[in-house]
Amino acid sequence: MDFKCATAFYILFWTAVITSANHNEEFHEELYVKPLPNGQINTFFQFTTRWKLEAGQNLDHTRLMPRTIAEILNIFDVKELHISLTQGLWRYETWGYPVVDSSPGAEMWAWFNGNLTRAQVDSQWKKLTSTLSGVLCASLNFIDMTNTVEPKYGFRPQFGTSKTNSEANGHIRYATLPREIVCTENLTPWKKLLPCNSRIGFSSLLTSGHVHNTFYHSLAVHLRTLCDDEIKENCIIELRETANIVYDQKLLGGSDFSLRKMFGQGLNGACSLADTSIIYVDVTNDRYTLTPEPKEVITSTRGGVTTLFAVYNVKEESNDKLFNIAWVAKERKNSVPIISPPPLVAHRYILNHGQERGKVVTEITNSHWGPLNVVVQENIPWYVPVYLHTLTATVNKERITPKLVHYIPGEQRERPYHLEVALTVPAKSVVRLSIDFDFIFLKWLEYPPDANHGHYLGSAVISTVLPNTKNYTGIPVDGYLFAHSFNASRPGYFLQIRTESLILTLPTPDFSMPYNVICLACTVVALAFGPIHSVATKKIVIESRETSHSILSKLKRKLFGKKTKEEDVAEEKEVAEEKTEDAGTDLEKESEC
Amino acid sequence: MGILTDASLNQRNHLGRNFLKHNRKICALFYLAGAVWFCCLGHSQFNHATYLSENALSPGLVYSEIKVESARIAQNYLDELNREREVYRSGIPYNWIMAKMQQIGLEVYTHNFTLHYPLGSGREFHGENIYGILRAPRIGSTEGIVFSAPYRPPESVHPDITASVPLLLAFAEFTRRKNYWAKDLIFLVTDREQLGMHAWLEAYYKGDLEDASALDAGNLKGRAGALQAALNLEIQDFDAEYLNVKIEGLNGQLPNLDMFNLIQRIAARELPVREPCGYKQTSPRKRAKNKNAVLENVKAMLSMLLSQANGVPTGNHGLFHRYRVEALTLEAVKKPKSDYQSRGAAVLPLLKVIEGVSRSLNNLLERFHQSYFFYILVSNDRFVSIGDFIPCLLLMAGPLFIKAFFLWLGLNVEDPEMEKCDEDEKQAESSQTELKPIVKKELDLQYSKVLRIFLIAHLIGFLASVMPENRGLNEVFATLGLSSNQFITGLAVVFSIVALLAPHIVELNYDGVELLHIVTLLELASVLVVVGLLNFALGFLLSIVIAPAAILVDRNHNASIKCLNRFYVILLHPLIVSYGVVLILTLNAFPELGLLAVAQRAIGATMDALTYSVVDSIIYGNWVYNAVTIAFLSNWMMLWRVVCYTKTEEGRPKLKTS
Repeated sequence: MDFKCATAFYILFWTAVITSANHNEEFHEELYVKPLPNGQINTFFQFTTRWKLEAGQNLDHTRLMPRTIAEILNIFDVKELHISLTQGLWRYETWGYPVVDSSPGAEMWAWFNGNLTRAQVDSQWKKLTSTLSGVLCASLNFIDMTNTVEPKYGFRPQFGTSKTNSEANGHIRYATLPREIVCTENLTPWKKLLPCNSRIGFSSLLTSGHVHNTFYHSLAVHLRTLCDDEIKENCIIELRETANIVYDQKLLGGSDFSLRKMFGQGLNGACSLADTSIIYVDVTNDRYTLTPEPKEVITSTRGGVTTLFAVYNVKEESNDKLFNIAWVAKERKNSVPIISPPPLVAHRYILNHGQERGKVVTEITNSHWGPLNVVVQENIPWYVPVYLHTLTATVNKERITPKLVHYIPGEQRERPYHLEVALTVPAKSVVRLSIDFDFIFLKWLEYPPDANHGHYLGSAVISTVLPNTKNYTGIPVDGYLFAHSFNASRPGYFLQIRTESLILTLPTPDFSMPYNVICLACTVVALAFGPIHSVATKKIVIESRETSHSILSKLKRKLFGKKTKEEDVAEEKEVAEEKTEDAGTDLEKESEC
Repeated sequence: MGILTDASLNQRNHLGRNFLKHNRKICALFYLAGAVWFCCLGHSQFNHATYLSENALSPGLVYSEIKVESARIAQNYLDELNREREVYRSGIPYNWIMAKMQQIGLEVYTHNFTLHYPLGSGREFHGENIYGILRAPRIGSTEGIVFSAPYRPPESVHPDITASVPLLLAFAEFTRRKNYWAKDLIFLVTDREQLGMHAWLEAYYKGDLEDASALDAGNLKGRAGALQAALNLEIQDFDAEYLNVKIEGLNGQLPNLDMFNLIQRIAARELPVREPCGYKQTSPRKRAKNKNAVLENVKAMLSMLLSQANGVPTGNHGLFHRYRVEALTLEAVKKPKSDYQSRGAAVLPLLKVIEGVSRSLNNLLERFHQSYFFYILVSNDRFVSIGDFIPCLLLMAGPLFIKAFFLWLGLNVEDPEMEKCDEDEKQAESSQTELKPIVKKELDLQYSKVLRIFLIAHLIGFLASVMPENRGLNEVFATLGLSSNQFITGLAVVFSIVALLAPHIVELNYDGVELLHIVTLLELASVLVVVGLLNFALGFLLSIVIAPAAILVDRNHNASIKCLNRFYVILLHPLIVSYGVVLILTLNAFPELGLLAVAQRAIGATMDALTYSVVDSIIYGNWVYNAVTIAFLSNWMMLWRVVCYTKTEEGRPKLKTS
């Protein structure tokens, strides 16, 4: 049995190698593990598929590239596409910057082909989101023009040269669904896009029971097409699937951990279709002893920051048992680490008292020694009407003027408020960007039908170019593997960070009210009808003759019924002569006077 | 068809006459009906059993996971903290608390605040809160729950609650090891009693973007989204005799009844039988048996109303309510004498209660919105909802409206001689069926004069409300060497004298006084109802005291009753009412003292109470002082003017004879 398997495996393997050479397709799997300073562990998976298309080849014949993705490129004129499904919030202060950033919930943006018109882009975008909704089993189909914005300054295309980039202006669409909950139903289709599926290779580590039990996890798909400016047919299609997971040591139990502890099982070898299968372990801090010992340690100096990576090439490891790496703490002190925060962090919160108006505040902290230029893209849905004149940026209670404000007012039920503010955050200071909004009543069908936490505001995106790489692990735009970030010094490092998404409790009517109102209205009508009718139809004439009667004598009369004539005469009577239109006026009484 | 415009109801006909004749009886009937209604609510036929409305809470559905180990940690923390307290006699051992929080693995922040004391020379007080946030793995910091414990330094005059912080930290340590949290947990240790909590909340909800008033709350460095609920812990000792749940918040606001029920359910499940938990729980040893249940219930309701009426929160939880965060305080009262064996016996049950509550709150899918926000607790498992108790207030404030109506009706009542003339006329016109205009005497209602009195009274009331805040005035008195207490009392006395004299500036005739009386009654009734809607306890208790004024005060009394009336109205003066309340409270607190000694003591206490109510109004936004000065003092002045009217002042105008 074993022999058969092995033979089959080798046959498969070699055919794979041969065909891959023919098809100009490559597939890489990478895993980056970084023990974070506060005792949590970041594991970052990246699966890269690259397909060099040459003249004469078309997207209909796919091999490693998933067919659904190829079709998307074919049908929707997409140049670049990013989708992320995230649970939890990346904590920049304690974790540094992630390799790939994403906002809580679902986030998606795409660049479209430069030759489309605006309306075409909109319609392609809508179709694209609906298609992807099926591909990833996420609620991306809820993305429409009411929650889509067109970023102008904060986002940069990652395809082509500067020429194509300028053409791409205005062909981007961005949307978030902060309410989206990420679960195993998203993980399974995400894994299905991989050539080895989830049976073998690094993706076999991603079992839903363990991935969803973590502090933070984010699945993402990044797709871009890089085309030659001269020969348009010569293109490279690049698909990166990333999974960013943060484990908590305390939840794993103890200060030691291993791949098996984190993922529930060891690694059952490399994906045979992969060109490389490498695990990188950050050993800069040297807090752990690694078992097995790495065969190689790479030193990467990038932007003045040196990082050490232990490298495990899984392809070279023997396949007869599950591969596992263990981290054993060198010191068992119950010490509290001092964490130096990254240069730029941002937070967002709502200030309000009561249910009338409030303030959305975005707080950007620059702990770098020099000023930083940032572009803040606020994400404000249509049900949070903001007032541009209340937009203030303050540093230590002193107002500063933004360098640039790009604002497209929202329209209720039509489009969100789009606000991009470019400003300089002075060195070692905090900028607070605040804008006032009103609480509004929605139409009754616009309230969620079920129990709901409130209405969500997606996270703001803050883009900047960092001068150094402290806590920075991003992959440069010209690379596609994690390994490409080694020694990749550049003049600046483009960084995007996202704030928390917010929950707003809009004034909610008591939905049992209609019932109460109906009951009350019916009662009022019933009660009011009689008197109104009688007032409208009767003429009241009053004559009174004064006599004094005690209650007692009256009562007596009432009790004994019969009245004496004298009493009758003396009795004060109200005569209501009813000159009614209706026939039955037998109530008429004659006045004694 | 309106009753006011109905021509069939006037002073001349039978109904009108009877109304006028029996108006006091009718009013008294309403008043008594209100009182009886309230007493009825004590009977189990008229109140309801509590139930949990919010299904997501499902209390006690999870198995308690907190183990003896956590109790041991709490005990260790307490021992450590007690050692720290020997060093820090008057402040918080910040380093110790922060180190513990950091070790547990929380995000730790401090929050500084400054109070510019609004009275006197404007001294400054500084404080510092410490809080740690456990970031929930299941959520992106969009929602949070607060667990707070006030810290009292050893020199504090309040009861010692040292054990709260260790318990809080032990629970935090437990939560850090669990991964099911779907709301960020904030563990907050507050400084300077309610001020610290108030400052923290102000900072959380207002930030420092607006100009600070008396309290400079600053901003917070870490937040946890929209707060859903809060639990405040006041643990006197780990050897607890019983648990007391405090719910009354600022301005008489209450937490959602579900929150209270949740605590009750979980406490009933987790606490041993000998440690009862409940609202206004008293020592189980003092329980007397075989008492009248209805009477006990009514007493319990009244005691809840009494503690709600002054609008002062009974614990740190009370400040959350205005931000729509459901909060209450769990107070563990220590055993009068503890033995070594039972030392720390209550830690684990307490931790289990907190765990149960936190996990139920963790399940919440939406903000508390079901169940009741307005209720009176009859006992721990029975309550009266607003629909049932608001009629009491209406029945009590109703007589004021009715009285005003009767006065209006009686304004043009004729003398008997005049009626005779009328009768002749009547007979002459008896054949006519047309509506005949009633012959009226000349009424001189003096609208402008009444308006003048109204304005003067309210201006004085307004001044009484804002004067204590005035910085300049405070400075002047401070330089004179007067304490803020004396300053406030001085102001109160001055305003009382002004209130006694001011309404007499404007001369009024008989009808004018009548009109003033009507205006007074209408205003009083509206104010009582409005106050009752905002804070039922205050409105209801004031109605009990004030409504008889409507029934008693009348112009047609003879001199001695008039004198009594005046005396009664004097008693209703806000200052005297507050003195009376304080006196009764002092009598209850020190039954061993003589009446004179108590009366003297009560004067000092009233002065303090007055100052506190002013300070509360400025710092916390408690509106009792403002309501009393603006509405009730002004109204009292007008009422005073009414009862002071004598016929000698200006004779009744001559009736015009036809």
